[in-house]
Amino acid sequence: MHLHKYEKIWLIFGTGSLVVFLLIVGYGAFWQGTHPQSHGVTIDTNNIESNEAFKPENLGLTKVEEDKYIVNIAASAFFYDLGKDEDGKSVKTIRIPKGSTVLWQAATKDVVHGFHVAGTNVNMMVEPGYVSSIETVMDKPGTYTIVCNEYCGIGHHMMYATVEVYE
Amino acid sequence: MRKQEVKKASEKDKPDLKGTFVSVMLLGVFIIITWFGAFALFISR
Repeated sequence: MHLHKYEKIWLIFGTGSLVVFLLIVGYGAFWQGTHPQSHGVTIDTNNIESNEAFKPENLGLTKVEEDKYIVNIAASAFFYDLGKDEDGKSVKTIRIPKGSTVLWQAATKDVVHGFHVAGTNVNMMVEPGYVSSIETVMDKPGTYTIVCNEYCGIGHHMMYATVEVYE
Repeated sequence: MRKQEVKKASEKDKPDLKGTFVSVMLLGVFIIITWFGAFALFISR
């Protein structure tokens, strides 16, 4: 088969870039633990309380150890359940110290929801029957809005909460 | 004499791919820049 000189160059260039892209993505996946946010951990959508993490008393922010937190979120139309404060009111804002490692775990009680801490990599679909989770380090102080970015119904735009990362 | 004629003819038949080459490379560079741009966003956040 005869190939033109230029054809050889761009085939090598294209294949080379593909190999570089795959190596980078593969390194992330197999050595750095990057995985899809929903990765086969199942849950009963009609009874998410049966999972320890989504019992009402375990929702919201929990400190595991110094600089390590877990946030459990029960998503339902059109509300993120982040637990209750001392007065028995629903938590709308969670405060996390800068530099903390946070494991976000979300499950839905009804339809597909989104969970996006805007401006960070915490961006997941929350699908019925599955637990979505992602771990991040919150190292930039500021106020972040959690938004639902999967259209979930008439009140979709009112589905939000706030995260404050403080120094 | 005859050989020379054959050679000339085959050179003439070669397509001119300079323009194609430049456009393929421009597209390739664009894809690489955008790929690493998105990757840098992912890493920095």
